[in-house]
Amino acid sequence: MRESRESGGRGQDRGRKKQYKKKFLFRKKKFCKFCDEKIKFIDYKDVRLLQAFTPERAKIFPRRIAGTCSKHQRKLMQAIKRARILALIPFTSD
Amino acid sequence: MLQYETVFIADPTYTDEEVDELIKGYEQVVTAAGGKSVKIEKWGKRRLAYSIRHHEEGIYVLMTLECPATLVKELDRRFRMNDRILRHMAVRVESELQLGPSPMMRPRPERDEQLLEPPMMP
Repeated sequence: MRESRESGGRGQDRGRKKQYKKKFLFRKKKFCKFCDEKIKFIDYKDVRLLQAFTPERAKIFPRRIAGTCSKHQRKLMQAIKRARILALIPFTSD
Repeated sequence: MLQYETVFIADPTYTDEEVDELIKGYEQVVTAAGGKSVKIEKWGKRRLAYSIRHHEEGIYVLMTLECPATLVKELDRRFRMNDRILRHMAVRVESELQLGPSPMMRPRPERDEQLLEPPMMP
């Protein structure tokens, strides 16, 4: 019973907050993949690349999870939106 | 003069010759307006990510142009007039890097190391 709650209920129980925080202490630091690869320009024609950042439901992968820096996230967003207009990648998937 | 990149998607019922003619026509418009086309890339028939006017496929053509801004407007007008152009888009090119072949022309399995896999969800 207890175990199932631990894996499922994320941040529902206030008393658990401390324990939850502790889990994050040794989390690997996120970094911007684009900065790492020194990519300055994100091309809307690079479908394979953009698809990596629009998983499953074809939504743009959020920064808080992907770890992309704001500069690159902005460029990525622009590229994804352009590619969507040209039907290279979907707006939604269903 | 600025560099622009324009992509249009033609109706899949176009034949190869018709597409060439179409491109030639647009090139003429460009040169007539004092611009020049730097690069033309035919991506061929591609599956659309979503259907446009009940078409599941489209013929993609990319044109890189060096032209005055007024020409972009003129091209836009012409694209609109042609019913068999499903979609078009013109953007400013921000870097000269664009002169090489675009990622579309890259052979499929290449794209070596999965250079930009996003991190896994926690």
